[in-house]
Amino acid sequence: MFSENAKKELEEIRLKYPNARAALLPALYVAQREFGWLSPDAYETVSDLLGVPKAIARGVGTFYAMYKHKPAGRNMVQLCTNVSCMILGAERLVDFLKGKYGLEPGGTTQDGRFSLVIMECIGACGTAPAMLVNDDFYEDLTEKRIEEILERYK
Amino acid sequence: MEKVLLKNIENPNSADIGEYMKAGGYRSLPKAIGMVPKDVIEEVKKAGLRGRGGAGFPVAMKWTFASADPKFPKYLLCNADEGEPGTFKDRPILEKNPHLLIEGMAISGFALSAEYGYIYLRGEYPAAKHILEKAIKQAYEKGFLGDNIAGKGVKFHLAVHQGAGAYICGEETALIESLEGDKGQPRIKPPFPVNVGVFARPTVVNNVETLSNLPYLIEVGGEAYAKIGSPECPGPKIYCVSGHVERPGVYELPMGTNLKDIIYTHCGGIKGGRKLKAVIPGGISTPVLPPDKIDCLMDFVNMPKHGSMLGSGAVIVMDDTVCLVKVCYRALKFFEHESCGKCTPCREGTGWLRKILGRIENGEGMEGDVDLLLSISGNVLGKTFCPLGDGAASVVQNFIKHFRPEFEEHIRNKTCKVSG
Amino acid sequence: MIKITINGKEITLEKAVTVLEAARSAGIKIPTLCYHEQLEKYGGCRLCLVEVEKMPRLQTACTLMVTDGMIVRTETEAIANVRRSTLEFLLINHPLDCPYCDKAGECELQDLVEKYGPSTSRFKEAKRKVPESLDDPVLVRNMERCIVCTRCVRMCEGVQGAAAIAVVERGGHSHIEPFSGGKFDCEYCGNCVSVCPVGAMMSRLHRHSYRPWQLVNETETICPYCGVGCTLIVQVRDDVIKRVVPRIGTAVNNGLLCSRGRFGYEFVGHKDRLTSPLIKKNGVLEEATWEEAISLVARKLGEIKGNFGGPSIAGIASPRCTNEDNYVFQKFMRVTLGTNNIDSTARTGYAGAQAFIENIFGQGSTANLIPGLSNSDAVLVAGGDPTAINPILGLQIRACARKGGGILTIGHVKGLRHYSPAELRPSLFTETVLLEGIVSALKDKKGLPGSNQALENKIKDIGVSSVEVAKVCGISEKDFSAFIDKLSGSSNAAVVIGKELVQSRGGNYKLLLLAAVTYLINARVYLLSERANEQGLLDMGCAPDLLPGYRPLGYAEFRKKYEIVWKSTIPEQPGLTIFEMIEAAKGGSLKAMYVMGENPVYNLPNSKEVEAALKKVDFLVVQDIFRTETAKLADVVLPALSWSEKNGTFTNMERRIQRLRKAVTRDGMEDWRIISEISNNMASKTHYTSAEDVFAEISKVSPLHRDLAYDEIEKETAIYPYKGEPLRSVTGDILTEKGGPAGLEGKLYLRLERPLFHSGTLSRRAQALVNIYAAAVARISPATADILALKEGDVIKISTAPGSLDLAVSVDKSVDDYVVMLTNNFEGKGAFGLMEYSIDPITKAPVIDGNVVMVEKVGR
Repeated sequence: MFSENAKKELEEIRLKYPNARAALLPALYVAQREFGWLSPDAYETVSDLLGVPKAIARGVGTFYAMYKHKPAGRNMVQLCTNVSCMILGAERLVDFLKGKYGLEPGGTTQDGRFSLVIMECIGACGTAPAMLVNDDFYEDLTEKRIEEILERYK
Repeated sequence: MEKVLLKNIENPNSADIGEYMKAGGYRSLPKAIGMVPKDVIEEVKKAGLRGRGGAGFPVAMKWTFASADPKFPKYLLCNADEGEPGTFKDRPILEKNPHLLIEGMAISGFALSAEYGYIYLRGEYPAAKHILEKAIKQAYEKGFLGDNIAGKGVKFHLAVHQGAGAYICGEETALIESLEGDKGQPRIKPPFPVNVGVFARPTVVNNVETLSNLPYLIEVGGEAYAKIGSPECPGPKIYCVSGHVERPGVYELPMGTNLKDIIYTHCGGIKGGRKLKAVIPGGISTPVLPPDKIDCLMDFVNMPKHGSMLGSGAVIVMDDTVCLVKVCYRALKFFEHESCGKCTPCREGTGWLRKILGRIENGEGMEGDVDLLLSISGNVLGKTFCPLGDGAASVVQNFIKHFRPEFEEHIRNKTCKVSG
Repeated sequence: MIKITINGKEITLEKAVTVLEAARSAGIKIPTLCYHEQLEKYGGCRLCLVEVEKMPRLQTACTLMVTDGMIVRTETEAIANVRRSTLEFLLINHPLDCPYCDKAGECELQDLVEKYGPSTSRFKEAKRKVPESLDDPVLVRNMERCIVCTRCVRMCEGVQGAAAIAVVERGGHSHIEPFSGGKFDCEYCGNCVSVCPVGAMMSRLHRHSYRPWQLVNETETICPYCGVGCTLIVQVRDDVIKRVVPRIGTAVNNGLLCSRGRFGYEFVGHKDRLTSPLIKKNGVLEEATWEEAISLVARKLGEIKGNFGGPSIAGIASPRCTNEDNYVFQKFMRVTLGTNNIDSTARTGYAGAQAFIENIFGQGSTANLIPGLSNSDAVLVAGGDPTAINPILGLQIRACARKGGGILTIGHVKGLRHYSPAELRPSLFTETVLLEGIVSALKDKKGLPGSNQALENKIKDIGVSSVEVAKVCGISEKDFSAFIDKLSGSSNAAVVIGKELVQSRGGNYKLLLLAAVTYLINARVYLLSERANEQGLLDMGCAPDLLPGYRPLGYAEFRKKYEIVWKSTIPEQPGLTIFEMIEAAKGGSLKAMYVMGENPVYNLPNSKEVEAALKKVDFLVVQDIFRTETAKLADVVLPALSWSEKNGTFTNMERRIQRLRKAVTRDGMEDWRIISEISNNMASKTHYTSAEDVFAEISKVSPLHRDLAYDEIEKETAIYPYKGEPLRSVTGDILTEKGGPAGLEGKLYLRLERPLFHSGTLSRRAQALVNIYAAAVARISPATADILALKEGDVIKISTAPGSLDLAVSVDKSVDDYVVMLTNNFEGKGAFGLMEYSIDPITKAPVIDGNVVMVEKVGR
């Protein structure tokens, strides 16, 4: 079930579109926040609220890379390793995350603090390597800078 | 060249409507809606404005088709899905000059009689979402959006719709599918979006940069606008340069600037004085160029003649520390990840190509692999439902065309001569 | 006119079609995989790529519309290469399972590779591996074989409308699965299986027990379950039904099936099938010979007729038996036994509702075609869920919604909830007020048409306002007026009526109100029919007041005609309805009963009373295919051939007559032949040697079926009114009895659940259907569960006046509040065992909606 706030948020979102189906992607973001990930419960809730059959909703949600379909850590580290970031050292950063935090692509740290997702170009090629941590953007990364940044996330 | 698109972005408050108006913003919108819509389109036609997303389609033509369709309401969609690897030219506008885009969209909406607009913003730009929504709110408050724009009874409503991590949604029909609450799988064309688009209504999809050109275009008029750049491809262009140059970043220059000048004059040449090995001129899907082929004008007309494409104008510069097999492999990993899965050659072909390149990269290449790569990519090229497959195939074909010996050596020696 | 050229051949087309359709019309073959004529275009497999002059890229023939002057080439070397490479792409992950894949021999991929594909593989990488999934009880998935053509998804979402499966993830990770990932939990129509071109989605029944090329015995016949009358192809190996498949182009269902038709055939070969006649000796049924059994029946019936007269004998006919069976049955009852005491379970609603409606609008007014229902601009549904009762008709309603038609429902119709229905859900027992309100509002909006005085007289004084509807029924004025607007704006509507409405208090009056709605908006009426030959048995005269051809018995001039043809007198007085038979049996005046193909002890409400009544009958003959609850009470049990073992005809709810054909051979006799034998033993000679002989007589005797013969029926042209004489203007007064008002008083009421997966007691022995829906549950809404402090899975004792049952709770949000829903399909756990009834004075149907139920939790 959605919290009252989430229900209200969904109602506002719904007003932006001429039909309920178009609100599906934003609704899945809300559900992801409420449930922590898009679990079967999350899909059933969205399905009921929008009148979209749940198999269809799940088909749509799993198409997109930024919806989580398994429980994740408290903080999402989203590191780009596409061409520009790669040639400027992103892969070393991946190794660093593995060595220092035991964090592997698609995985979560033991203490549940971080999950790592490899991104496909996040539009920071001129300041590569770059990453997002949750909704925060970080560029010009080095191993040292990553360490400093991740310190701030509990 | 005086900045048009990146005007005022050094100002830390450039996203605020007050600052935008102080610097001259929101004067073109009232001017435009004082005209008749078809005259606005005429100015755009005179300006010769072409889409900045990569396809370069003449904007006035698209708008005319949509405008002529009898169905209402019409929609204007801003393609802010900027996902072509190497591309980061729209983000500065979205985060630092949102009102330029908003004003541009309101002008465009008026011109093609669209009452509703959405900014389809990629999920990977969360900061831009907040900034845009705040700016839109400010624009509504000042009467530049809503049911009665600038008091002249013109209606245009704008909202942000966030994507969720799918490069394919940069393709206009896939974008429309995603906006409607579905997977981003491209649609059968015809019908074209200008006739049957989002919610089955006439829809125009334009890139962020394209729409951001409108305020200046209306301010100075189409003819004056066309004086920037070249007669065939007028206007300013944001080139975004990344990789091994001294000064990577965004550069607003006249359309048609020489690639050599971009790299050596504006960006300070190859970082650390190393040797240039390869340049991708317009984002990963555009044919790679060897060092002896970078003397070319970066616009829609000259680049194809030169054997590549302008694409998004995203220049990726690679020096001799880069293993091109590895780059090709990484590129195919990207395409495989982003393939929507609808059509057979792209769905199966990108994976197959990636696997072969992976083997080569990991020292398990076999004789005949290079020819196999060419054959498979040749079977993908031109056979797919949409251009994503073409991009993937073209990467393989062009890397091998210009750098075949590197691939063969990688196979023979079971290792990369560069990274060793 | 559009002229195009394909491979140098000029083709002229009247209207724009796709290049593929144009090519096919000219006999030019273009390979396809994702294309399917019943599904939305996809353009994904790329196999149909062709060259089109002046177009720079190759184009998919299945999506490209022809334009005048187009020049197309489909057989160049470049295209051959494309086809080869496309198939190569499909084969890199598709496993080489042909030797043991059940699809081999009818696999589209296999056929295409043989014609166009590469002969060796260049793929040296690791193939993706997906284990076979037997998670579902009925469907087996081998998704390693899936080529993501998405036909199954497009069928499920776009045609069936169940939207149970979807493509999950994207790119090379795309895979198709139901929401749960394992069990489908869907409508189990199997239409996805019908369209899958490879062996990825298949039925589990008879898995690995056949090869398609061994199924040479294919018989086209009609489904035994509901009144839609779908055409099925029964495929047999060694006299065992291996598969039932559809065929595109068949009359009513055009290639679509439902779970019952598709997976419900296993009862035919069930081990419980009766194989020998049984005679009760010392209270125990023992095997006997046919001679013994038949002569016993003939002797006893003769005795009872002699001693007590014809009217002391009653017969119950079968809506699952053929027209031929039913015709011979009623003739035996009338001519040989001298009684009009013939009826069937059609009396539980269909017969009375049809008589009522057709009395107003004329015979045949409920005989409307199912294909084409989707072209209505509005469909009003009341009294049942068409998608569960007559699924293929339900699909037409869904298609109507997709085409832009408006769906309106009285009450919640679960199977239409995703079709934006305008739904008015009146509180319990207030449906009549709502219907009166609708009639009043329509009268105001549209006025009275003036073409049916009798009907107008009945409704002219009805005046219930939307304010009253809001107050009594709990429906907002806003919703009510939106509903009226939608309904009154239609010009080509269909009104679909289910039995729940007929079996409710004041059911006849509600039928009047719905007839009024039909009249005011000039709509067509459809009566949902739960049995395959319910209409047929009525048309054959298996009713106490009807003669073959649906002629009323009460008219002497009709009766005389039949007496001449049958060379016998026919009793004048109408006979007993099935419920009157029960009463007569209870009272002792019924001495003998002959039950053919029916199970009244289970299929009629107040089962215990029915059982007690039948026990009092001196001589009970039961003719059936299983030892049913009724058969257990019989003095003589006669085993009959079942569906698929005999020839004959069914008449469906459209009144379309269709041919049943024998697909499986078994020793035994058809129902009509058994009765003929008995008749011959009673000196009423019959001369039928085949079902066709029987039909030949029907076509002579029944004015409605005049000159109709099998070959005509086989040409699919036997659509009402055939070449015969429908009944004209024998309409009587429209009689109604409204019934008193009802108060809710906070009690719980028992309701009959009509599930998609079961039908009567026949489906009990179709293992696939049992696997889908295994046991009876008590369904209650979440609000009711809260009030009763019950959770999913709790075991409760539900009690009514007749008795009580222990059942597990199933919390279901589609159920009305204050209601407990229970099926009447599972042995020992039937709703009818707990239901008392009164008889609607006009339709003579049982009224069962007033059964108050007490609930007590007894465990988990």
